[in-house]
Amino acid sequence: MSSVEDILAAENELTHLLGAQQAVVLSTRIRLARNLDGMPFPGWAKVPQRKEISDRCIEALDALPKFRRGHVLRMGELADRDRAVLVERHLVSKELAAGKSGAAVISRDQTCSVMVNEEDHLRIQVVKAGWHLRGTWHIAEQLDDALGGSLKLAFSDRLGYLTACPTNVGTGLRASAMVHLPGLCLAGHMDKVSRALNQDGLAVRGWLGEGTEAAGNVFQISNQQTLGLSEEAILKHLGGWIKNVVEQEWNARRKLAQEEGEKFVDRLARSLGVLRSARLLTSSEAMNMLSHLRLACDMGCLPEERRHLVDRLMIEGQPAHVQARAGQELDSDGRDRRRATVVREALKDFPEVAPPTA
Amino acid sequence: MSQPIKCSLCEEAATVHLSQVVHGNVTKVHLCEACAQKGGATDPAVFQLADALTTASPAPTLTCPKCGFTDIDFRKRGRLGCPSCWETFGDALGGLLLKVQHEASHVGRTPVGTMPTGQLRRRLDAARLEMEKAISAEDYEAAARLRDEIAGLEQQLATA
Repeated sequence: MSSVEDILAAENELTHLLGAQQAVVLSTRIRLARNLDGMPFPGWAKVPQRKEISDRCIEALDALPKFRRGHVLRMGELADRDRAVLVERHLVSKELAAGKSGAAVISRDQTCSVMVNEEDHLRIQVVKAGWHLRGTWHIAEQLDDALGGSLKLAFSDRLGYLTACPTNVGTGLRASAMVHLPGLCLAGHMDKVSRALNQDGLAVRGWLGEGTEAAGNVFQISNQQTLGLSEEAILKHLGGWIKNVVEQEWNARRKLAQEEGEKFVDRLARSLGVLRSARLLTSSEAMNMLSHLRLACDMGCLPEERRHLVDRLMIEGQPAHVQARAGQELDSDGRDRRRATVVREALKDFPEVAPPTA
Repeated sequence: MSQPIKCSLCEEAATVHLSQVVHGNVTKVHLCEACAQKGGATDPAVFQLADALTTASPAPTLTCPKCGFTDIDFRKRGRLGCPSCWETFGDALGGLLLKVQHEASHVGRTPVGTMPTGQLRRRLDAARLEMEKAISAEDYEAAARLRDEIAGLEQQLATA
């Protein structure tokens, strides 16, 4: 079994965890950019230097208890589809997957993944399902300290952690939450919320990060500034806004449910109907209808314990996942057919959509 | 037919065109597909970056002694060559840093066991301020965390 197949088969937080903490906030992510002292950044390094960087970083990571029985994946050795699966799972970025000299070291439980030779030598990422800013930060901080113990990191007294791009220098910290905002989208408030977040220094992006669309009403909200603020201040700023956005989302949902009444339930029920009987499902269609099912689970229209199944379908309905599960390359129609089959099977014994209780 | 517009960062034909309006002044940045992708053209911070780059002077004046990276390379890539580039280009980047970051000096964490005294003092000042704010906002959980951090910093300073 290849490592990527192993990753697909393993149960992990994002696809199998049950918990009320996950309404609205799908996941919390911390990313730290770090570089080795005295080595050119990956984009400027020569091939042998990139190899040296990769070897040194992987050796240091491999020795950490966190990565025991984990995965070391060198992009140059993986098939295109396997790299695409890793991108869809947010374990590596599109940029890392596109190059040959990058690698990813992933913990067994898939909560920690470190990208080697992306834009910076090291990109430490920690992801937890639901809203857990402190817990996620704590793990990243420990990993950072452990790595700093075995590698000499590029750091300046005045500018902090030195990175390839000026947008990351200082803390190198990007903290983000993946949020599901169907209420704000349906009510037409998303542009306004996005603008307010932008004006206060937060970026709003689509499901797969930079430059992607917000399929399924899922957005990633993250800090922009990395210099001149302590990690504590950055986390506090993001945390305050996420709390605010979650509140606004619930208000929008309750208002919609109340004002629309039967129409609200009808919309969710229709999505379940289509997902349960469609023979061909495109990726964006599936995402948008699964978003309705997730909303239904949050609102008590469907049992809450079904929500993790919806989350799993959102991840596994993406093109590379569908093909990996089928074990073969599929054309667009083939993928749509296969996706519809997987979704139909999964939702077979779903109960009917009931009026909201939340 | 008119000449295609060239990318502001490299010589390729530009296909992505960004316009920024600040107080009625329109600034335009043209990017090729590759540079737009690389820079994440939808990211406002990167947009500001591209903005600053295109208004910089065109003559190559600085070279990193460690890795040979020049200011022309930076204008093309928007990324630096190596950690030492920060010393070479630090002053030249000052304005740009303030534009994308709003601050020019680090107050956050440091690698384990290496916190220099200046850094310690700056962090201590910042932590004290944050604690006062936390107390007035009645966020006692944050205040307690900061109090512990301050105690730790004071001890480190005393033994430094």
